[in-house]
Amino acid sequence: MNGTTTIAEFRAAILDPAKRAHYRLAWLSTVDHKRIGVLYMLTALVFFIIGGVEALFIRLQLAVPNNDFLHPDTFNKLFTLHGTTMIFLVAMPALFGFVNYVLPLQVGARDMAFPRLNAFGYWCQPFGGILLHFSILAGGAPAVGWFSYAPLSETPYSSTPGIDYWAVALFVLGLGTISFAINTIATVISCRGPGMTMRRLPLFTWMNFINSFLILIALPVLNAGLAMILIDRQLDGHFFLPFRGGSAVLWQHIFWAFGHPEVYIVVLPAFGMVSEIIPVFSRKPIFGYEFVAASTVAIVVLSSLVWGHHMFTVGMGRPMDLFFIITSMLIAIPTGVKVLNWSATMFGGRIRFDVPMLFCIAFLVQFTLAGLTGVSHASAALDWQTKNSYFLVAHFHFVFVGAIVFAMLGALPYWFPKMSGRMMSESLGRWTFWLWVIGFNMTFIIQHVLGLYGMPRRIFTYPDIPGWGWMNMLSTIGVFFMGAGSLVLLWNIAHSFFRGRVAGDNPWNAWTLEWATTSPPPHENFVALPPIHSRRPLWDVANPDRPDPVVGDDQVVLPDHNKTGILAFIFSEVGFFGTLILAYLYFYAHPQAGPGPKGLDVPRTLIFSVCLFASSFTFWRSEVALTKQRRGSMLGWLGLTIALGGIFLVGQVNEYWKLFQTGVDLSTNMFSTSFFTLTGFHGLHVLIGLIVLLIFLWAAWEGDSVSSKFDSAFKAAGYYWHFVDVVWVFVLLTVYILPLMR
Amino acid sequence: MTTYQFFTTAWTWNSIVLILSALAFVGYFLAFGQRGRPLYFAAAITVILLALISPFSALANGYLFSAHMVQHILLVLIIPALFLLSLPRSFSLRPPFTYLTHPLIGWIAGVGAMWLWHAPTLCNAAATSATVSAIQTTSLLVMGSVFWWQVLAPREEQRLSPPAGIVYLFTACTACSVLGIILTFAPVSICPVYQHPVDRLGILSTIRGGWGVTSDRDQQIGGLLMWVPMCLIYATAILAQLARWHSCPAPHTEKSNA
Repeated sequence: MNGTTTIAEFRAAILDPAKRAHYRLAWLSTVDHKRIGVLYMLTALVFFIIGGVEALFIRLQLAVPNNDFLHPDTFNKLFTLHGTTMIFLVAMPALFGFVNYVLPLQVGARDMAFPRLNAFGYWCQPFGGILLHFSILAGGAPAVGWFSYAPLSETPYSSTPGIDYWAVALFVLGLGTISFAINTIATVISCRGPGMTMRRLPLFTWMNFINSFLILIALPVLNAGLAMILIDRQLDGHFFLPFRGGSAVLWQHIFWAFGHPEVYIVVLPAFGMVSEIIPVFSRKPIFGYEFVAASTVAIVVLSSLVWGHHMFTVGMGRPMDLFFIITSMLIAIPTGVKVLNWSATMFGGRIRFDVPMLFCIAFLVQFTLAGLTGVSHASAALDWQTKNSYFLVAHFHFVFVGAIVFAMLGALPYWFPKMSGRMMSESLGRWTFWLWVIGFNMTFIIQHVLGLYGMPRRIFTYPDIPGWGWMNMLSTIGVFFMGAGSLVLLWNIAHSFFRGRVAGDNPWNAWTLEWATTSPPPHENFVALPPIHSRRPLWDVANPDRPDPVVGDDQVVLPDHNKTGILAFIFSEVGFFGTLILAYLYFYAHPQAGPGPKGLDVPRTLIFSVCLFASSFTFWRSEVALTKQRRGSMLGWLGLTIALGGIFLVGQVNEYWKLFQTGVDLSTNMFSTSFFTLTGFHGLHVLIGLIVLLIFLWAAWEGDSVSSKFDSAFKAAGYYWHFVDVVWVFVLLTVYILPLMR
Repeated sequence: MTTYQFFTTAWTWNSIVLILSALAFVGYFLAFGQRGRPLYFAAAITVILLALISPFSALANGYLFSAHMVQHILLVLIIPALFLLSLPRSFSLRPPFTYLTHPLIGWIAGVGAMWLWHAPTLCNAAATSATVSAIQTTSLLVMGSVFWWQVLAPREEQRLSPPAGIVYLFTACTACSVLGIILTFAPVSICPVYQHPVDRLGILSTIRGGWGVTSDRDQQIGGLLMWVPMCLIYATAILAQLARWHSCPAPHTEKSNA
């Protein structure tokens, strides 16, 4: 950095609002949650078209028996890309787009808690998508399914770089998703408007708030797995290579420990949408708010305990099967509670059958069917028969399309007026609805039957078995209905955006805060918020003579958003390091010939560890000095912290160097693979922490340390630094101390 | 010995447990009389007898790691919870014990009760020595009570607020699940005593052959019990916290409306 540049000049150069407002940069450089929300949705729309065309090709290939329209390898690539695209590049960004747009409005905030982090999270999506699809040009798309089972996904069996692109893309998308979840949590906890207590949150907001915790539980596990498979492929590790001592089943555990919660990560926002739309169009408050809200928490806790039901066919043993059967059946209870509550909300209401409501009704029916086939898979005996058949394909498409896509198609006309200021066409919407209902059910109901007739998944063609031909043909015809429905939808969006009827602030007579501002809302969202004492503030405004019962206290406690954000980030890191430590322990318990933990130099590591632990103390002293506004002392302690952290890193580099000298590197055996991965990622975190602390040192040196903003950011950095030290306590115990106790 | 014979004869009429239970009953009524909630207390004593007298106890005593785990869960999570619920609303701790009511102490006690006693040496010792077993039982009851105090203390103001309670329970659940996962997947025996039990009651062939519980499977079931059903107990408590949160009255309604 140029010595003459000061913080103020630096800020002026990159953060000039006038420059950013210029039309050429307005959307590219935006940090406004509303624009980012729209960008998310547009990105999802683009990938929806791509994923949809991929699906169309898959169905065309399967339309008739013994078809040779597609090469088998192309077919494998297509269903891998289709699955990955639809989950990571369509469902997630589309839902996050809605959340990004609506959630800050619903809680009465000006923006998300961290607008720039929000932009970062968004830009991870298109770049992740481009990375994934770039593999097509770079020597071959991945062809191993969206779950990328090992060892098929390992270099000896998939030598093209497709899997590498897949893993890096998902890692990038995972980072974006985690940053989104952190932002959502911080927004809800720290940025609510006056009177918007946690117990008064609209259900859409509540469910996405709870869902963000599920994201922070699940995504880091996937990221750890992706890091491991990349290490296998790029650095010659063997985590998932059985013939080198690795475990292919470990990959399945990691993937499904993420994969099952992932289902709920995409379905909970959809639940939130339905919970907003059904009451408004039934002209009744939601039936049993508390039950809908609490069952969401139950789903989050339970969904982390059921991933084994994806692995019944692996052969985990009877005890494991039994426990996962029970938990998988249990999760039907909170989901069933929700379905009953939505139905009870409609019961006795004055139902308006506008397009959003139509989609929600279809959602209810289709989701119930999906739940029934889902809970049938909880039975391991049935699962063994249907797991690898089209019955399962039908089941999860009923969840992803029949429930999630339908909820989004309902949410789009519901919130489109808020976003654009114009209504979507009701008649075109009905066309879309019927084309989708007919097409979707035509395609997927019959697949249940096909599956029970024994048609396996992941096959590129099939012999002319009686009955299979016409059922597959019917299934393929349904896709064209959905395609036509989508074209009508695209036309509807474009047409309504320019020519739609002007909506006004609150076209649906809804009750949540997003309808209390103009359509579209101004940059700062609200001129003034209505008084909030219940869960339906706009009902209270419209009906002052019979307001909703007041819910709880009016007092709103808003913790510092930096603190909330960094704690949420640390929460996610626990999952990441937890996975790495458990993987290390797994291979530690299956020792191999060659280097092992006994060969490590424990005393020397302990000395360097003391430096790291001492740096937590010195950081604390620096914080105290900052509070007392003693700048010199603060700089001194901070400098010492950085020095101690640096010494620790030097110690680690030295340890690596000595191991390399004796011929031990990452590929030597399972110990070295898991040892270098675990300590390496910790070292990387220390390095990032050091960079953060150096930035603070620089800023404080330039005299930037007097603001309260600096104070809160400095404290947040401190949480991170202490956390990195705590992780080292666990690494030290498992890697260095545990072998001594044997 | 057949399964039927085992469950009818293998009751360990441990006189110390019986006398202490009877004394506890008398003490409870002397101390609280009608003010307490004796049904909860009776339930607590019943579960204690189930855990320490019934054939389950005989199985946990050197035969089955999984039975030991059931006993462990009852002693840490079920009995202390019932005990705290049986206390009268007016009950509060006297000064020397109040330091036990810090949330961090409670959390460490609850999670420590799980981890500490599954260190191989301690687990072995508790399964073979009656003295260590008695110490274990007592410590589990105490640590469980300290853990639950944060959530089930007799008076509302002694408990954590519902959101804090959820964080408390969730993190404890995670910490114990991790141990459950380790036990489930560990290829080596965590508590080697259970691998080759001394067949005091002549039931081993029934267990291994009739029930089909091999020593590997036994440890797996034990781990799964800690991983899954125990997490469900925490999950139930989390739901109870949510119910409590949503049922909080609105104390300042008139003022805020004015």
